[in-house]
Amino acid sequence: MKTAPSPQTTLVLVMLALALSASATVAQEKAPASEKDAPFAYAAPAFIKELDTRFPAQPPVPPSPPRYGGVLHFPAVVRAFDPTAGYRPELALVWDTLTEWEAMWNFPEVQRTPVIRKTLVTDWQMQNPSTWIFKLRQGVKFHNRPPVNGREMTAEDVKYSYELLKGKAQYSTRAALVKTITVIDKYTVKFELSIPDPKFYLNIVDSLSPVIVPREAVEAPGGLAENPIGTGAFMLKEFSPGDGALLVKNPDYYLKDKDGRPLPYVDAVRLYFTKDAATETALFRTKQLDVMRVSTLDQLFALMKTTPDLQLYRVSSFGWGDYGLSMALDKAPFSDVRVRQALSMAINRDIVSEVINKGDAALYGPFPWGLAGYTKRTDYSYANLGPNYQFNPKEAKKLLAAAGYPNGLDLELEWAEFQGWNYGEFAQLVARFYNDVGLRVKLKQLETSTWLAKVTGVQPFTHMLATASPIGAGPSFMDWVYLRYHSSFPKTMNREGISDPKLDDLLATWRQDPGDKRPVLQKAIWDHLRKNVYRITTIVPPHYRITQSYTHAGGNPYCWFPGYCSYEAKTAWLTDKAPARKFDKFAE
Amino acid sequence: MRTYVTRRILHGLLVLWLVSLVIFSLVRILPGDAVIMQLDQAAAPTPEALTRARQELGLERTFLAQYRTWVTGAVQGDLGRSLVTRRPVTQELLKRINLTSHLAVMAVVVALLIAIPIGVLSAVKQDTMSDYVGRLFAILGLSLPDFWLATVVITFLAIWFQWIPPIGFAPLWVDPVRCLSQLLIPAVIIGARLAAVSMRMTRSSLLEVLGQDYIRTARAKGVRERAVVVRHALKNAFIPVVTVVGQQFSVLLGGTVIVEFIFLQPGVGSLILDAVLLRDYTLIQGAVLFFATVIVVTNLLVDLSYAWLDPRIRYR
Repeated sequence: MKTAPSPQTTLVLVMLALALSASATVAQEKAPASEKDAPFAYAAPAFIKELDTRFPAQPPVPPSPPRYGGVLHFPAVVRAFDPTAGYRPELALVWDTLTEWEAMWNFPEVQRTPVIRKTLVTDWQMQNPSTWIFKLRQGVKFHNRPPVNGREMTAEDVKYSYELLKGKAQYSTRAALVKTITVIDKYTVKFELSIPDPKFYLNIVDSLSPVIVPREAVEAPGGLAENPIGTGAFMLKEFSPGDGALLVKNPDYYLKDKDGRPLPYVDAVRLYFTKDAATETALFRTKQLDVMRVSTLDQLFALMKTTPDLQLYRVSSFGWGDYGLSMALDKAPFSDVRVRQALSMAINRDIVSEVINKGDAALYGPFPWGLAGYTKRTDYSYANLGPNYQFNPKEAKKLLAAAGYPNGLDLELEWAEFQGWNYGEFAQLVARFYNDVGLRVKLKQLETSTWLAKVTGVQPFTHMLATASPIGAGPSFMDWVYLRYHSSFPKTMNREGISDPKLDDLLATWRQDPGDKRPVLQKAIWDHLRKNVYRITTIVPPHYRITQSYTHAGGNPYCWFPGYCSYEAKTAWLTDKAPARKFDKFAE
Repeated sequence: MRTYVTRRILHGLLVLWLVSLVIFSLVRILPGDAVIMQLDQAAAPTPEALTRARQELGLERTFLAQYRTWVTGAVQGDLGRSLVTRRPVTQELLKRINLTSHLAVMAVVVALLIAIPIGVLSAVKQDTMSDYVGRLFAILGLSLPDFWLATVVITFLAIWFQWIPPIGFAPLWVDPVRCLSQLLIPAVIIGARLAAVSMRMTRSSLLEVLGQDYIRTARAKGVRERAVVVRHALKNAFIPVVTVVGQQFSVLLGGTVIVEFIFLQPGVGSLILDAVLLRDYTLIQGAVLFFATVIVVTNLLVDLSYAWLDPRIRYR
């Protein structure tokens, strides 16, 4: 007969277990330094150096000729395949804009001179800075599906699409400047602008510019959501919200590659709407994703350990994804430039870089370095940013005292969780730096949508807001700087309500210049902004984009975010080592 | 009886009306709106464009006008269109309910398959090593959060076996193999916690029943121990277990969000969470009203079934 152990025996067993676990902990603590390489620990500087050597900024040129066929898989976040409902970069797979940014734009030589790929437009002409004529590509057909049935795209479609979309929230940044559109003939349209712009052609390029949609599909029951018809390289076959989407090749697509071969190369694209980094990582490891973006150096290290043959594209960020602080400039003490300078000087950006991404990040200034004429990675330095960006707590205290705050200040710093960013640690770090110079910071975590409403300028923030700097699409100075700093724009564009007559003058001169003096003016604006610190910027991590060894989808560093521009999916191809995949349904 | 049913139906309608009013008001108290949440980070819309977008979605109309439109549609079975996907809310809900029901049923089956044998063993072999192991399992099941377990499982499956459950839902009656390979692991993870609760309930309930006089009588009559447990004790011990499982099942219908996210299985939980995050008012309202209706109708049917189950019960 079995008997239960006595309470004393149980107690002894528990004590023994505790003692064993304690001794194991002590043994671990006493482990020699050579054993510190635990499975997930790594030396970040050495790893960064290895990345520099193994994966140079200029990605390898894919072999030729490309192989046709296969199904390309990548993660995405698309809530509606309908450009009238909301904008997502992945919509460019189905709908084209008049032009696109050339793939190689973010290499140094093209940061100065943005290169544009002519998609639906083949030529343009400035009659005067307020009147532009665009010639359309002939023979471009909409997807061959009812109710449009593959008819040709014409100037009427461009006029209709711009009039439909230019007032929509997601396109109004640039398209709002378009006053009227007139059809000259079947393949020619005239744009009249509300503000003269001698470089207007830079503002109709992809991402935030209206896409061209057919009227029949918009007006059909269910609109574009149920009739997703465009001129793009892929046709939407299935959209399963929260799950994924399947897009198949458009056999009538008009663009060819540089050797005259028809695009796209792959038969289909499958998007997975992932929401969790662990899921994406697992999908990549099991070869269910061919391309993905990696958020942090830690995640990259873990992936490279289990998928050593992956191809990494490590691209210095132009300016997307920085860590910064917006200030309520219309209130004291932020209206005082000395306080703003002190707040900037109190931050040790090297430590921010260490904490946010193990030191793999670049310094960031008032706007992208490339737009100020700095094109070499070594130019991204404290020396070129000036004293306001250097860690100098003593000077910060002096400036605060001079501004009338010798005993510090009480500040509220608002922040929120946001996918892909680490604002929590950033806010805590900033609070710690500010505490060291006598500032008392109250951290306030916001619910994400409240934070977004403040970031987009719809709601005011109390004192300071931890967020990324306002951004633009492509290397457009208009997007990144003019719309974001000129006092004539509302807070939905100029988030902090910056109002500086000298800055306005510089920006107005820039806008009216036909181009010759623009680089000098852009540098002058940079200098003015770094002195006045209207926004506090710190660092910007690089973009990590990885592909499987059997995938060639990397000759395009602009597309650091998989699917960010349609050209990547158009030119991607898979070798015969790629997994065989069916594509009748999303769930195949 | 007829008076009772009529009264209960009217009571149910009143509850649904109150639910509709509360949820309609609550979602509008939330900061931000669907227009803001759909903006790309690079977008810098003009205030006029934002106003126009709200007008298009009907968000600029008065509270009462919006409510009247929505309720009128809901009464006719039209819950409106999602503010984000622009698709009918009913269509979105039905698709997700299908997946979540599969997941919930499988989780319950897994939980019962684990919980009942261990719970019975634990009770029958009280204070032996089997009992300790069973209880340890129960404590582990309760202590390990399912989001952690799911993350660990998906990571190690990928690293060790280069396999993770397939993505893209297939119902059991369409493709049973795919459905099981897709949902079994998430169901085991969700079921582990439910199994722990059910196992503890089975054990304590069975112990209580085993101590009762009629069990002693059965033993005294020479009935074999297995028959005592299976035929006499277990049936009675199951009543509280079934109650717990029933409650947990309704929780599972809306509460598997994290596991759905991690295994990329879009069910009702992630649908509602996404709707809240994106301020998709019509979808939130539709989902809540749908579940409220299901609960009201179920409760009514259960109450009415008492009379059928126990003829001594009479309604007035």
